[in-house]
Amino acid sequence: MKRRWALAVAACLGLPLAALSGAGSPKKAEPVQAGKPRHIMSIDLCNDLLLMMLVPKERIASVTYLAHDAVEVLMPGADAGIAINHGAAEEVVSQKPDLILASPWATPVLRRLAGKVDAPLVEIDSANSFADIRRITRQIGDLVGEPERAEALIAEMDRKLAYLERRRPARPVEVVAWSATNGVPGRGTLTDEIIRTAGAVNLAARLPDNNFSSFDIEELLAARPDAVMRGRATYDDLSLGDAASEHPVIRRAFKGRQISYPAFLHTCGLPQSADSALQLHAALGKLPQGRPPW
Amino acid sequence: MVGKRLWPVLAGVLLLTGVLLSLGIGRVWLNPLVLADSLFQPKPNLAWLILSELRAPRTVLGVLVGASLGLSGAVLQGLLRNPLAEPGLLGVSAGAALGAVLAIYFGLSATFLLATPMMGIAGAIAAALLTLSIGRGGTLTMILAGVAVSGLMAGGVSLALNFAPNLAAVYEITIWLLGTLENSDWDQVLLVAPFILLGWICLAFSARDIDALTLGEAQAESLGVNLARTRLLALAGTALSVGAATAVTGSIGFIGLLAPHIVRPFVGHQPSRVLLPAALFGAILLVFVDVATRAIPTAGQEIRLGVLTSIVGTPFFFWLVVKLRRLSP
Repeated sequence: MKRRWALAVAACLGLPLAALSGAGSPKKAEPVQAGKPRHIMSIDLCNDLLLMMLVPKERIASVTYLAHDAVEVLMPGADAGIAINHGAAEEVVSQKPDLILASPWATPVLRRLAGKVDAPLVEIDSANSFADIRRITRQIGDLVGEPERAEALIAEMDRKLAYLERRRPARPVEVVAWSATNGVPGRGTLTDEIIRTAGAVNLAARLPDNNFSSFDIEELLAARPDAVMRGRATYDDLSLGDAASEHPVIRRAFKGRQISYPAFLHTCGLPQSADSALQLHAALGKLPQGRPPW
Repeated sequence: MVGKRLWPVLAGVLLLTGVLLSLGIGRVWLNPLVLADSLFQPKPNLAWLILSELRAPRTVLGVLVGASLGLSGAVLQGLLRNPLAEPGLLGVSAGAALGAVLAIYFGLSATFLLATPMMGIAGAIAAALLTLSIGRGGTLTMILAGVAVSGLMAGGVSLALNFAPNLAAVYEITIWLLGTLENSDWDQVLLVAPFILLGWICLAFSARDIDALTLGEAQAESLGVNLARTRLLALAGTALSVGAATAVTGSIGFIGLLAPHIVRPFVGHQPSRVLLPAALFGAILLVFVDVATRAIPTAGQEIRLGVLTSIVGTPFFFWLVVKLRRLSP
């Protein structure tokens, strides 16, 4: 039933599309540089950021409405003048992109519609490791025709990682990226890799549930980590979880032992995720000596 | 009747048991002896941190909130002369929920911790004022106004969910609406305690009048009861105590309905005599249900308090309906 409904919508949208593609046909005659899309649309926050790093604004059709806050932290002003989208299928029709960068969760309607406007829709994986970040940055670099730029970003990241490799702390401290309501990232997550790269041990990795597990304040206190990492609010700042995380006991018990990090560098695998590891490494050096006092 | 003399002892024992269980049970199991000993150990130590900063405020808040729900339920059932009356009826809970949800929606809750309860209290007072200004005519008008205000406030909550900027916000709002005492702290207790105590005083002052009301509105007025004043006291008391309670815990159903019905067989049907026992049993019920949310093993999140009170409360509601049907001629 749902499928039929989706087909009907696609059919309704398909009619005006046929007319549009007819009207747009002279454009195809224009000389287009081989392999370089000139009107790229991104419908996923992580792809938005990589796209803005890789190609000049003129070649970006639109990025998502979520990107702005992360851009302000990462590369202020980089999104000025770039149109925004809400990941809606209709926007694909109106913007007529020649490449769509999506997440693996793009809706079927959007996918079918992209086929109709002759815009290749490429689903980009989410990154859970620095190896993933290399692969994805290269993949998008190749797609948008800027492989050298992508390699430069990767080289920059690898330089930072190599620096961290040389400066591993003598005593590994135990940290956890804890929040009251969201899961705590354990083994197999990008956060876990960032923590290990910075030379710390992720407390959540020794929990039986190896991906995103959750535990409450009592369990956090009982586990006695050396420091608690708190995701700084960025695009997902409307979170009661953040407020609940500020339970006075945490402020008191982990005084001087809280490390904040930009959450989007852990949510999205970007070459700058290495910066988050650098920051964490620097913060670990400033922790009070010894184990927590309780 | 034996029950009349025994109930204070029973209530005291139950409340004490509930409080001790609430202090003793949590996600981290600590030997009760270790917990007690932690008071005399050098601080900070783990057991003392958990006891003083997490479990104690949670227990105190549970008692305050439960007592508010039970007390205002008893007053409203007396005032409206309706066994199905409960604190949510006058739109106060929905108003508190809307205020708190708006605090989450506009991101105030992330900027400072007490924004949610403060907005919740403001919402409850606004809803009560609205109910009062529309429903001044009489008891029935007030119930209808309360239902309308509840609907309006619920609509506001739906609107916030509708326009929520991202899925995380929808999730936070929905989870908040389910009600919980998890992660309560002393700041919250100190914020709501004055409102709750003030509300209790208002409700207590209406006790004599609701006794007269059992004879009917006209008879009560002829006995010198100022009905408008009684309604104002009951509404203000509910708005302050239940509004403040909902503002910190989210919506918790059925306690306000259940508590007066549980105690009535023991203390008789004179409305003013029901108030104190209903408040005590409201507190007992809430503390025990809250202990159950912690004791029931779950993989991730705790069972939410509001969810459990609804699941436990519904069978009682059915029983009440069946019993009332049997009693009616």
